[in-house]
Amino acid sequence: MALYAQLFLNTVQIGSVYMLFSLGLTIIFGVMRVVNFAHGELFAAAALLVAALVPAATAHLGVPIVISYALSIVAAMVAVSLLGAVLYQFGFRLYLRDMTGSFILSLGFLLLLQGVLVEIFTGVPRVVPPISEETMVFLGGRVTVQRLVTCAAALVLATSVIGLIKYTNLGMALRAVSEDYEAAMLQGIKYGRIAFVGFLVGVNLAAAAGCLIAPLFTVTPFMGADYLVRAFIIVIIGGLGSISGTVLASFVVALLDTLGGFYFDPTTTTIAMFALVMLLLVLRPQGLMGRSD
Amino acid sequence: MNARTSSTALVVLAAAILGYAAYRPTSFAVTVVTWITVRSIVAASMRFVMLIGEINVASIGFVGMGAYASGLATASWHWPILAALLLGAVVAAASAAVFGFITLRTRGAYFLLVGFSFTEVMRLLYTQVEAIGGNDGIVGIFPPTWLDRWFPALLIGTGMTVLYVLYRIERSMLGKLFLAVRGNERIVEAAGISVLGVKTLCLVIASFMVGIAGGLHAHAANVISPGDFGFVVAAMVLAYVKIGGEGHILGAVIGATVLTIVEQYLRGFGALEHALFGAAIVAAMLFFAEGLWGLVHRILDHVAIPPAAARKPQ
Amino acid sequence: MVGEHAREHAVVLQADGLVRRFGGLTAVNGVSFRLYAGEILGLIGPNGAGKSTTFDLISGFRRPNAGMLALFGEDMTGRSPSQISRKGLVRTFQHKSFIPDMTVYDNVLVGTMKSFAPAERDRRVRRTAELLGLSDTVDVLARDLPHGRQRLLSIAIAVASRPKILCLDEPLTGLNATEVVGALRIIRELAQNLPASILFVEHNMRAVMSLCGRIIVLHHGELLAEGTPAEVAENPKVIEAYLGKAK
Ligand SMILES: Nc1ncnc2c1ncn2[C@@H]1O[C@H](COP(=O)(O)OP(=O)(O)OP(=O)(O)O)[C@@H](O)[C@H]1O
Ligand SMILES: [Mg+2]
Repeated sequence: MALYAQLFLNTVQIGSVYMLFSLGLTIIFGVMRVVNFAHGELFAAAALLVAALVPAATAHLGVPIVISYALSIVAAMVAVSLLGAVLYQFGFRLYLRDMTGSFILSLGFLLLLQGVLVEIFTGVPRVVPPISEETMVFLGGRVTVQRLVTCAAALVLATSVIGLIKYTNLGMALRAVSEDYEAAMLQGIKYGRIAFVGFLVGVNLAAAAGCLIAPLFTVTPFMGADYLVRAFIIVIIGGLGSISGTVLASFVVALLDTLGGFYFDPTTTTIAMFALVMLLLVLRPQGLMGRSD
Repeated sequence: MNARTSSTALVVLAAAILGYAAYRPTSFAVTVVTWITVRSIVAASMRFVMLIGEINVASIGFVGMGAYASGLATASWHWPILAALLLGAVVAAASAAVFGFITLRTRGAYFLLVGFSFTEVMRLLYTQVEAIGGNDGIVGIFPPTWLDRWFPALLIGTGMTVLYVLYRIERSMLGKLFLAVRGNERIVEAAGISVLGVKTLCLVIASFMVGIAGGLHAHAANVISPGDFGFVVAAMVLAYVKIGGEGHILGAVIGATVLTIVEQYLRGFGALEHALFGAAIVAAMLFFAEGLWGLVHRILDHVAIPPAAARKPQ
Repeated sequence: MVGEHAREHAVVLQADGLVRRFGGLTAVNGVSFRLYAGEILGLIGPNGAGKSTTFDLISGFRRPNAGMLALFGEDMTGRSPSQISRKGLVRTFQHKSFIPDMTVYDNVLVGTMKSFAPAERDRRVRRTAELLGLSDTVDVLARDLPHGRQRLLSIAIAVASRPKILCLDEPLTGLNATEVVGALRIIRELAQNLPASILFVEHNMRAVMSLCGRIIVLHHGELLAEGTPAEVAENPKVIEAYLGKAK
């Protein structure tokens, strides 16, 4: 029983980070028809910043670790948003709705950012000092409070983004543009502006995922690639641009990861997952939740 | 320059390169040309699949298959080299047939992402199989001693042949069909031709060629390992195509040539090598999206044809 | 009394209870009809009636949720569009029914690929272009053609493969009066010369009335009426469907 609880908690925790990461990817694809290969680098940049800033803030400002963690998150989010704005204004803006062009451009950004991150942060893995070492019993499994809090934060964040997209005017505009951007423009929605906002939302989701993952795992400039492969499998299964599909697929993949990691090893799990994706493509080429035309 | 003089010039250039490769097989220049040749084949094949409108990131996975199959064949089973190269091509093409038949039902971003995952998964798979050296890969893949001296020329000649074959197919009826699929698949399907079949055929041809490239690479480098076939390689190859120019098969060759030479100067920059490469791609996309081929063409047009204003009756 | 003369001919296409849903919307709801050898059958209905979806179902571009399709007596339900095309049913599309970045010649060439040996294709392309009055524009890119010629080109691509059943989805939209007259003459000739049975979707009522021997009417995805042009024109249900839409 305790084992299952542990596996369940793991799934929710990994799944919620996957969800943030992949939601960003899927929203950007929805509004811009751009597959952003540099998404993983933005995620890694945020994680690296947090990993570098937390010890620095604790040492220099003399504040409790919770405060320095909070400050680092704010700094990292702002920095990555600015970086995202630069990528958009001096790049993606020119390649909206051009899949080939934007793909190559984003590969260029990927190589560029990865090189720069290695240059700044070096390739040495970093560990963020734990915020609290307390553990508690949850659903019959033993977890650290820290894990529980990050997990809850990710879920709250993802839910609020989905709420934002479902219920606000801005969200409505984002959805309208994803469905049919020409019709949306006819209704007076300014496409360029919505695309920019959508891109920033996506970038911030990646950054948030990075901030949340930083205290849980070791952080390197290369961590983006692993998450990117996972996120791609998620969006292929869930259907690119589909919010509900992405949410569902994030937890499916997280479950497979947890089970696979427990009974086999991560590499075998990835390979098996890909075989599964192939099988799914045979049965449903449009993905789990994608539309059938 | 009309078509005849430029093709004559190309043939002369090709013959000169081949002659030099036969004359000084161990010189650094010839070694660089062999790298360029392998990369040109892969870039031209990537562009070949662009004829049907898809970006084939999986192509690097098939390069890996070609390299591993032919490498095993010579290093472990002691096959004759030509048979080994052919095996690599056939393995890549056969796998592409299965892969294509399944995945070419999707298109655009999906196909791209599936190809990306495929390449990464193949790389992971190589690390897991002890029989092919796991993480260390295969060492000691040599051409037979009697061929050693001629191998660079053989490699370059094979590469040129592959490029020529791809060019001829593009210009044939089949090439038109590929473009028709890119332009409007529904019309092709309504005309009684299976679009899935056409697309799969395109992928199989391209993969046969990159299978050859993989085998050539294995025998030229003598060592292969899983890391040689990651998706970053696909990014580089796409950069060759894009920076060289998509409009013509020679664009892929120009891109591979220029970037391989640039790369020689970037060595020693460490991690920044990738960053500079990335910056080059970004710059190319922002400032000359038609690539070098387009640039050259525009300049040639400008030189060859009098400016429009001069022809206007005034 | 419906289409009595047609009954003497063989059935080339039989659709039975075709259903197609899009999410909650049933675009085609239990549509059954037959097409007889040599006839020109009109398929009409207000916007959104399900005409194009019906075309998609009988040409294999969409799978029906229920129902069956037979061509020349053979069950073709669930076959791919190319299989159906090779069986002899060739269609055009309401929108973008040609390849924009290729020349007229190459567009028509694509049409010939399934049924002609390479050596015969050139002759076939030129004959077809001539038939549709496109001879003087064979080297023009399709996207540079005037709209009327683009419609004719889409018919040419379909005709080039020598279909036994030709399905035209609004081939006259956007044509001017002279072009309509020319196109109607061409379609009539095609029916005789190919020879082919033709299924014809059109909003131009006068054209439908003059061209078709028999008409079926779709409304909200259901078959509303069937009969000769005169019978359909007087059918109160049909009149209401069209007026209802006008409100
Ligand atoms: N891919 C689709 N997804 C969802 N709904 C669709 C789709 N295609 C068609 N529909 C809906 O199905 C119904 C029938 O559409 P269809 O295109 O068959 O009508 P039509 O009779 O051809 O109309 P028109 O005269 O305007 O061409 C319409 O309500 C349309 O909105
Ligand atoms: Mg229609």
